[in-house]
Amino acid sequence: MSKIIVDNNGDIWQNSFIPNSVLGVRMGRPTTVVTSGKRLLPAVVAITLLLPLLFAGTSPAADVALSSKTYALLYQRELPGGEKNRYAPLYEYLSADAANLGGQPVAFHFYGWGRMDLAEPSGSERTSGEIGSAYMEYLHPQGNAQAKLGRFFLTEGAAMETLDGAFVKATTPLGLGVSVYGGAPVEYSILNGTKGGSALYGGRVFFVQAGYVEIGASYLRENGTFQEGEDRELYGGDLWLRVAPPVELTAQATYNRSVREMASQRYAVRIVPGATFDVSAGYESYTYKGLFQSTLHPAFVFPSVDNNDKVQTIFGIVDWAFVPGWTLEVAGKNIRHDKSDPGDAYRGEVGLRYTYNEKKDVAGFSAAFLAADRDENEYREFRGFATYSPSKIRLALDALTQQYKQEIFGKKNAYQVVASAGYQVLAALQLSGDLVYTQSPTYRKDYAGLLRATVELGTSTGGKK
Amino acid sequence: MNRRAHIVNLFGAVLLALLFGCSAVSQAPSVPPKHPEDLPPGRVDCLECHKDVSTGALKPYASVRHSRVFIDSHGTYARQGQNLCSSCHKPEFCQTCHAGKDELKPNTKMGDRPDRRAPHRGDYLIAHRIDGRLDPGSCFRCHGNKNDSRCKQCHR
Repeated sequence: MSKIIVDNNGDIWQNSFIPNSVLGVRMGRPTTVVTSGKRLLPAVVAITLLLPLLFAGTSPAADVALSSKTYALLYQRELPGGEKNRYAPLYEYLSADAANLGGQPVAFHFYGWGRMDLAEPSGSERTSGEIGSAYMEYLHPQGNAQAKLGRFFLTEGAAMETLDGAFVKATTPLGLGVSVYGGAPVEYSILNGTKGGSALYGGRVFFVQAGYVEIGASYLRENGTFQEGEDRELYGGDLWLRVAPPVELTAQATYNRSVREMASQRYAVRIVPGATFDVSAGYESYTYKGLFQSTLHPAFVFPSVDNNDKVQTIFGIVDWAFVPGWTLEVAGKNIRHDKSDPGDAYRGEVGLRYTYNEKKDVAGFSAAFLAADRDENEYREFRGFATYSPSKIRLALDALTQQYKQEIFGKKNAYQVVASAGYQVLAALQLSGDLVYTQSPTYRKDYAGLLRATVELGTSTGGKK
Repeated sequence: MNRRAHIVNLFGAVLLALLFGCSAVSQAPSVPPKHPEDLPPGRVDCLECHKDVSTGALKPYASVRHSRVFIDSHGTYARQGQNLCSSCHKPEFCQTCHAGKDELKPNTKMGDRPDRRAPHRGDYLIAHRIDGRLDPGSCFRCHGNKNDSRCKQCHR
């Protein structure tokens, strides 16, 4: 069943799904999304692709790196109702980085992916893709001053955005600094009748004293018609403070002025006495109304969630390398809701990792337990994995099981096993393949195979992971 | 003058004051845009070579050691600056998880790297019903406005 809707703004919404009464949910193919950054995309791509050409004639020492990751998948899924689906999508992820353009501290970065289906469409169309980033960057030799122009992922104070725009940051000798950014947000809405914002801008002022403190205040505004017909307007604060050599405090808070609510808060104390022990504990909270105000996803609005709910979390994490090569990880979290549905929960997790073969390989085991007020929210998870890399061969095995307290679609267990083998054919080329078997409440049987080809080319040495 | 204009003017004034009133940019050397030596495979421990304070993050290297504690709270550090991160990580590293409308789960792309803390292992369609009910804020950071249209099959 398929329906195409053209709204008043000319955006096309395609809605196609295959109802499945056995699952009780609608399983089917994806729908087309509306992107707010789409209108500026051609301009951004053109500018960012053409700008490096300005330096091309004078950049004999340019440091260029290319990376291609090709994934060929083949998977067959059998739903509890007996329906079988077979897909064969081919994905290509491409990244390119050119630094030292024209002998200047100027770089160009590109990252994007595309999909083409070789069998049944695995998405709403047989092809799909996205440009994740394409931007010019200037890194000043002093003071970590920098500028970006194009499409980039930005985390700065209250902002964690992908932006078609510009970003500038500088710090003075006194330690005072400022950053400003602005442009069109790159967002993808699947919430009917709602689009992403039309413009986003903001900045951060901060004071930093190396090794002791960094404190910042930030502002972000996004023009749009989000929930309650408002723009998104955030005030943020952040702090990193080294109280004593092994002890540091971090704080991060955001106030949503549009709905007059604290959106989120996170405060933590961390003790890092050396390279073998790391412990942290803290408090985190957020309100649905404040944090989800600008969402473009129906899972974060009524009736999926009660927008009057609030979450408060107390957490603790320990990472202890008690013997060389062996690391113990323990984490605990108490999640409290204002509302009885979904109620409160405790999550505990313990894991052990062993690193060997000159740190090229790791084996690990972990167990996680979720105890909750409501049975439907309780489950346990156990996982074990190991890798082995003799010479140019790399083998990996990963097994996971989940056990639910309450039946989901008539089942209380899920399993997945992933076996992987790879070979370094050339210094720049690695081939590998994965076999995946899954059994879960969603899929009675799910077989998947993946072939992976990774090509890494560069004109100089140096680390980029 | 409306409120937006006030804020724009305020940021402009602060920018001018900082750049011109305080002798422009700090003379401290920036962190190199690229780690000068090849990095070994697997999780790297900065403390094996580096001591004291990073010129990029202006924090001790111990603070950015990639322990479980740091990985769980890396967003707090990234929101104060990305220079040190980008010295070793390509821009695509962040976007392996913080994607726009990526269709492949991180753990599918990294099936050969089970040591990585890639989210959504197993048939996460089931577990996300529980994790999403209890802590939707952790989902929101990646799926609030940068999402896969597959979500809409059920979330309407």
